[in-house]
Amino acid sequence: MIKFSRDRKPLLGDWLVIVIGAIAVIYLFQTLWSNAPASQLQIRQADKIIGTYDLNQTRELHIHGPLGESHISIDQGKVRFKQSPCTNQYCVHQGWLAHAGQVAICLPNQISLQLIGENKPYDSLNY
Amino acid sequence: MRQLLLLLTNLLLISCTPNEPLYNTQTYVFGTLVDISIYGESDEKAQAVATKIIHQYNDLHQRLHAWKPSELSTINQAFASGQTPITVEPDIAKMIADIAFLSSQSKGAFNPAIGQLIQLWGFQNDTFSAHKVDTESVKSLVAKRPQMSDIVINSNQIHSTNPSVQLDLGGYAKGYALDMGVAYLKQRQVNNALINIGGNIIALGQKGEQPWRVGIQHPRQPNAIATIALPSGWAIGTSGDYQRYFVLDGKRYCHVIDPSTGYPAQGMQSVTVLIPPQANAGVLSDVASKPIFIATANARVEAAKSMGVKHFLVMADEQDIQVSDAMQKRLSWLDTKAEKQLKVIQLD
Repeated sequence: MIKFSRDRKPLLGDWLVIVIGAIAVIYLFQTLWSNAPASQLQIRQADKIIGTYDLNQTRELHIHGPLGESHISIDQGKVRFKQSPCTNQYCVHQGWLAHAGQVAICLPNQISLQLIGENKPYDSLNY
Repeated sequence: MRQLLLLLTNLLLISCTPNEPLYNTQTYVFGTLVDISIYGESDEKAQAVATKIIHQYNDLHQRLHAWKPSELSTINQAFASGQTPITVEPDIAKMIADIAFLSSQSKGAFNPAIGQLIQLWGFQNDTFSAHKVDTESVKSLVAKRPQMSDIVINSNQIHSTNPSVQLDLGGYAKGYALDMGVAYLKQRQVNNALINIGGNIIALGQKGEQPWRVGIQHPRQPNAIATIALPSGWAIGTSGDYQRYFVLDGKRYCHVIDPSTGYPAQGMQSVTVLIPPQANAGVLSDVASKPIFIATANARVEAAKSMGVKHFLVMADEQDIQVSDAMQKRLSWLDTKAEKQLKVIQLD
């Protein structure tokens, strides 16, 4: 049985426990809360929700827009525009999205990808 | 013990609350994405109100279209063909007067009279692409000095003393639409909503117990660098070199054109401004970032001050990030690397 005394000063080990604990809390907070991994993907074309998809799968999707077909790849927790018939290819250059709240939009083809998770860190994106 | 049980019951009740009354819709207007969220209303009412707002936006977009037949293009034709006054709708006359005021406030850095330059650079197009621009054409258009002060407004009659004035409201209309949307929401007694037009956002009320929260996009990565609470009436807007641009011979040309040189502004990735509640908060969130975006490094603070902006975040590149002290107090950083590079500017 460990006895605690009120006037005992914290030893090096106590401080280590406190410091390591604090670091762990900050680290977990930053990785899990601020950048919460997304679990679902919502795809919209124009004003319609095409569907909500589980991110934890490998799947290729072909979505039709006014310019033609955009090719979207879901790959175990991440998603990207693989191909799109737009001129500037901004959507393709965005690359992989993996965190809740991340958005990729192909404006010319009016297709948006939005990642949804348990803890979405914001309601809307300023860009 | 009774209190503890009460607390537990309350917690249980909170966790049993059905889906929060949040309505969201997205559509494409102004060549960009419009996203409307409405909180605390029935789905039917929220949908009716949002549909009406989108209808108003489509109407505004058609009236102000810079390169398709519209009320604005009729005005531009009249400006180009001489000094005979043309009659315009009262709201358009008011808009042009408002723009002229903002343009003079920015000392001409915000200048929607340079439609010809914007067209020359190919940005008056839904599907613009990389192309070489003739330097002589740029020079000659800059030398003609089209300015908002060339426009004479006499109640609803307007004319331009300079035939090179061609209006392009691409840096104004989205902000105007934000204010318009909020006015309509209030008229319909909707108290909690968030409107996002191409990244420019205005908040009304809040989302339940929490204020609306927005993420600020990293100009080079597909994630947010920071988040910020947007209290009721506040608006936020960003000018970025990553929204509309093309790359030619390894050099990036963005859609923000410096009226004094005629060339796309260089050396700036993004400028975000936060605007406190006021009648034209939406307009300011769209307009006020431009003069800062165009300004040289040592003139940015002055540019912000001239537009009355106290909250700004400037990312010239990954190593050169400036934030005003008032803005920094409100930001929650997600990108710790960017946060380390911050230079906080004390505004007096």
